[in-house]
Amino acid sequence: MSRRDGGRLPTAARRVIEPFVDRSVAERILISVAAILLSIAVGFAIVLVSGRIAECSTAAWTMPVTGLGFCYDPFEVYAVLFNGALGYPLAIGEPGLFNPSWTPFNLSFGLTLSETTLLIFTGLSVAVAFRAGLFNIGTQGQLVVGALATALTVLALAPLLPPGPISGIALVVVGTLAGAVGGGLWGAIPGALKAYADANEVITTIMLNFVAANVAYVLVLEVFRAEGSSVVATRYVPEYAQFSPWLFPDSSDFALLALAVGVAFIGALYYLVEHTPFGYDLRTSGVQAAAAEYGGVNAKLTTVRAMTLSGALGGVGGAVWVLMSEGRWIESVPDLGFDGITVSILAGNNPLGVLPAAFLFGVLKGGALEIGFRTDVPTELVGVLRGLIILFVAMPEFFRMAGRYAGLGSSGPGGPETTADDSTGDDGSGGDGTTGDAGAATRGGEADA
Amino acid sequence: MRNPLADVPVPLLDDLIDDDYVRSLVVGVVGTLGTLGLLGLLFPDSVAGDLAGIVFSAGTAESTARLAAPIVLAGLGGIFAEKSGVINIGLEGLLIISAFASVYIASVIGIGNAVLGVPAIWIGFLAGIVASTLLAGVFAVVCIEFKADQIIAGLAVWLIALGLAPFMSTVFFGGVNTPNLGASVGWRYSATMVVIATAASWWTLNRTAFGKHLRASGENPKALDTVGVSVSRVRYAGVLLSGVLSGVGGSALALSIGQFVGSGETMVQGKGFIAIVAYLFGNYNPLGTLGAGVLFAGLDATQIRLQQLGYAVPDTLVQTIPYVVVIVVLALVGRTRIPAAAGDHYETEE
Repeated sequence: MSRRDGGRLPTAARRVIEPFVDRSVAERILISVAAILLSIAVGFAIVLVSGRIAECSTAAWTMPVTGLGFCYDPFEVYAVLFNGALGYPLAIGEPGLFNPSWTPFNLSFGLTLSETTLLIFTGLSVAVAFRAGLFNIGTQGQLVVGALATALTVLALAPLLPPGPISGIALVVVGTLAGAVGGGLWGAIPGALKAYADANEVITTIMLNFVAANVAYVLVLEVFRAEGSSVVATRYVPEYAQFSPWLFPDSSDFALLALAVGVAFIGALYYLVEHTPFGYDLRTSGVQAAAAEYGGVNAKLTTVRAMTLSGALGGVGGAVWVLMSEGRWIESVPDLGFDGITVSILAGNNPLGVLPAAFLFGVLKGGALEIGFRTDVPTELVGVLRGLIILFVAMPEFFRMAGRYAGLGSSGPGGPETTADDSTGDDGSGGDGTTGDAGAATRGGEADA
Repeated sequence: MRNPLADVPVPLLDDLIDDDYVRSLVVGVVGTLGTLGLLGLLFPDSVAGDLAGIVFSAGTAESTARLAAPIVLAGLGGIFAEKSGVINIGLEGLLIISAFASVYIASVIGIGNAVLGVPAIWIGFLAGIVASTLLAGVFAVVCIEFKADQIIAGLAVWLIALGLAPFMSTVFFGGVNTPNLGASVGWRYSATMVVIATAASWWTLNRTAFGKHLRASGENPKALDTVGVSVSRVRYAGVLLSGVLSGVGGSALALSIGQFVGSGETMVQGKGFIAIVAYLFGNYNPLGTLGAGVLFAGLDATQIRLQQLGYAVPDTLVQTIPYVVVIVVLALVGRTRIPAAAGDHYETEE
């Protein structure tokens, strides 16, 4: 099935779309879940291997039968990761399964939902571009620019308005719009370069990430730096112009209203992509640019528009980061844009899938903080899981082969099988039907050794 | 019967020189350097004099050689992979993993020790190549065996390395940056490796049967299959070679300083992506890639020296110059012809 027909764009577009259109939603979800489980299994192996090599005075975990000591306890890592991300609803080491004093409005769960909210915007940003056949890796830069635009706009307008909730709402709305415009313009650059100069958007967006980070840093350092600040950051925007954390503790940096806005964006984007003429142009030029052009779609303009929209969504993510999480622009911008790639790929580039994918990744990010508090394992583990998840989602054929190998569709994720998967990862020898998984785990282990 | 391979176009140097944009860019670069040199000679006290002093200084030449190694070597690797039909956008990840592995292994053995008479630093160098080749092997299996989307799998390779190297560094050294080894590989070694690798790559691509198979695998895999050469095997070779070459580049980068820096985007800082632009700029010709790589590295070296002079322009802004130039160059050379079957999975017809 070698294909010699397509030019550059159709080939690229086909690559993105193909894995996601000719397959049922069920299989897509199955593959995403399987990819997560496999990443967790490989992460388990990585924790074990590095726990064997790291130096510590007392072993955190001793492998049964062999008696080998490890510095990190992989079971504890995942227990802390998932339980901690939700604020320990499960009691560990105490009588009873559930922790009686647990409420959903705790600090850890707030941090998890805060990450989820931000990832919804960056995930949507990546998803819109990918649907149009454009690999926008530049959401990170678009977020940085959007965040700075938001912070500067709100700081400039705040003195002009009387303090109070009404002007607070106005400032949040205008600030978010400024973020969208900033991110959108930054996203339009690679879009125009792609449409009119055929410059590969993967490279230009990555280069623009560096440029955005450096230019924003210099602007704040030289012009907008808060007086007496030890870090490179702007002044704080007024308290009333930030999303206020209802129900959740202040320090969780989470506002239910922002999450609601994120969910509304998901609905709006779904409608836009699936049920509007623009969405039709977007999807068709993503699937087959030449055919779309023949059918009257202006592919070049669609490319620029898609990248602008994608950048604007990244910019809104930056706005929410400023107005909900930090309260100012600060140089250490988290990797939200890169995590958005994982979220989008996990979601099958479908806006509706972004919600569960963002929540799952929010759990990983929130749990990473707990890992940092409670264990010696470096929190960079989540960065490894991020890459592994993308890798495994990208190879659906692997899971189909594994499924065929295991017999009739038994690669399905179910309660009992989940634990079975974990246990094979633990003893390192592939059991029935999961030999493929074990092989992949070994490869991952070798690559990092 | 007609040999189907005879149809495969053979890129020679002509390809490169015929291109208008390359000619104008070469003329532009030479012209700019010439003007700068002349102005520097005539007005030694002006900004031009300072700049000429930087551009033509021995220090800049040394750091150009040091910085060019990862770009040119990863770029050469990228040519092998893409010519075979697998777009390897994960070169950045290969550079990161080899940079870390080389420093890690060298420090485990300990500078001053030797294994089988080979000094630790060179064992580290080999370890970097091995690590990069293994990761490239994973990428190859995922793309060729499991038909993964090459772009997404390449991004995954980058992100895995971007997570794994700082993770491992924190595990072993307690921080994302490794301590300095206190020894380094001199810039002359980097320069030598770059020259040898470029010449060898040119020879392999243009003068050997393997090079012909590589090109056929990317342009017309069916023809290659017809004459009885396994497309998968050729593609595996192409991707693994990209791993080996990137490994040399990554090891050379880290060991020329004697340290791995894992904060932010790590010490590689997009050199793997710049490498992709370098070989596109060089139109898949190793010599062109060398030229483009040295140009980008020279810009980077100049900006580093500029920072040391302390002009009123903030350092961070000067640092963006190479990235902006890469974008401009890419916009100029965007219309390169990629191998016809690059990015497509090939199913062997039994």
